[in-house]
Amino acid sequence: MGRLNGKIILISGGARGQGAAEARRCVAEGARVVIGDLLDDAGNALAAELNGAAVYVHQDVTKEADWDAALQAAEAMGGLHGLINNAGIYQPKRLMDTDAELFERHMRVNQLGCFLGMKAVVPLMEKSGGGSIVNISSTAGLRGSPGAIAYSATKWALRGMTKAAAVDLAPRKIRVNSVHPGPIDTDMLKVRTAEENEQRLQFVPMKRMGTADEIASLVVYLLSDESGYVTGAEVAIDGGSTL
Amino acid sequence: MTPDEEWGLIGKVAIVTGGGSAGDGIGNGRAACILLARAGAKVMVVDRDLALAERTVAMIEAEGGTAVAVSYDVTTSAQCEAMVADAMSRWGRLDCLDNNVGIGSRGSVVEETEENWARVMHVNVDTMFLTCKHAIPAMIRSGDGGAIVNISSISALRPRGLTAYSVSKGAVIALTQAMAVDHGPDGIRANCVFPGPVYTPMVYAKGMTEQARETRRKASVLGREGNGWDIGRAVRFLLSDQARFITGQVLGVDGGATLVGPSRAS
Repeated sequence: MGRLNGKIILISGGARGQGAAEARRCVAEGARVVIGDLLDDAGNALAAELNGAAVYVHQDVTKEADWDAALQAAEAMGGLHGLINNAGIYQPKRLMDTDAELFERHMRVNQLGCFLGMKAVVPLMEKSGGGSIVNISSTAGLRGSPGAIAYSATKWALRGMTKAAAVDLAPRKIRVNSVHPGPIDTDMLKVRTAEENEQRLQFVPMKRMGTADEIASLVVYLLSDESGYVTGAEVAIDGGSTL
Repeated sequence: MTPDEEWGLIGKVAIVTGGGSAGDGIGNGRAACILLARAGAKVMVVDRDLALAERTVAMIEAEGGTAVAVSYDVTTSAQCEAMVADAMSRWGRLDCLDNNVGIGSRGSVVEETEENWARVMHVNVDTMFLTCKHAIPAMIRSGDGGAIVNISSISALRPRGLTAYSVSKGAVIALTQAMAVDHGPDGIRANCVFPGPVYTPMVYAKGMTEQARETRRKASVLGREGNGWDIGRAVRFLLSDQARFITGQVLGVDGGATLVGPSRAS
């Protein structure tokens, strides 16, 4: 029996990497998914692979009209019970190397995109009897993360918005939690060399990187009714690296 | 009943301390025992009161699960050692430990007696130290690492006049995170769950007025109380392969009560 049976879940940035892993796991747990992304080919291919349990919509998370389109797709499926705010960019640069344009781009995609998503889903989720929002932050939203000031700023913002939204949306039976992945083995890490990534593992108590599927497992718990009394929580999934 | 494979708990062995509950009630420990057994684990239900552990085992056996009721006093190192040896000799391995044992307290440091302070620390902190001290080497010997969940409390983060208790539950968090760092390289994960206003036999055993219950409900931003199952589901998740990259975390199952910190009956 699937742990997300009968649920409809919207996943931003769902066409590849962690978002795609989440889409596959949600479907494996009995949910149907709306995959939003800018990558039309990858998104359509994933939707086809998920064979009737998924639709792909082109989505720029900084555009309200694109959120409306994603919501229409969910409504056509029958409602909405979950949102994974997964879309994000990661262009690490130190403070002195970060210009206003790079900073604003992170704010728009990572922070404004998350805000617009949380806001957009409320009416349909409420109509569907409540729901669960999972915001994908980062361990960069839990501590001082080196060489990525714009990214860190937005990931701290997600953590804060999660708690504020959890309070605002509780009366509407919508839970909001944040997930903070540490070193995860996806294409995002290719911004560093293999040696650099290897070196980072020294500081992980579990001595390895995590996988996209492991993130998806945490997201499934937070989307499911198993976590019905969990809201405003932040969970790092980092092999202990922030300790 | 066919256990669900995705938890990775089929054939694994779990020790749950404080696994009994008064009567047929569902406390945090009992809920975790039942859910771990449903996921296919063999569960050693430990309680100071053997009859309470036996009731939990009867519930598990009625569903076709595997469990045994035992009585050990986890406040002593020798009894913790014997408890772990019992699980190892009975089932040949140890994979999971869920520590529920704890007692409450009331009053500020001025009101608290030295004797009771020491007793609260002994029962709430030493038991977690001693069970882990003996369980971790057994988990390592079993070959697949292991997972520990220690039950902390909302009182560790939002103290409200239960000072010795708050301090002991804060210590549980520090202990858990230290173990996560120390034994991460051994494949041992250690996490805390902190329950918020959950309505369990331990909470209602001494009687609770409807007004106090209502105050607790309102302390949660979700506007309702939790129950033992909510805690048990969090424990099952953290002990399972579904959480295999999660360690050192403090997961609140509190209906959002720590977000706002309103007044609440304790």
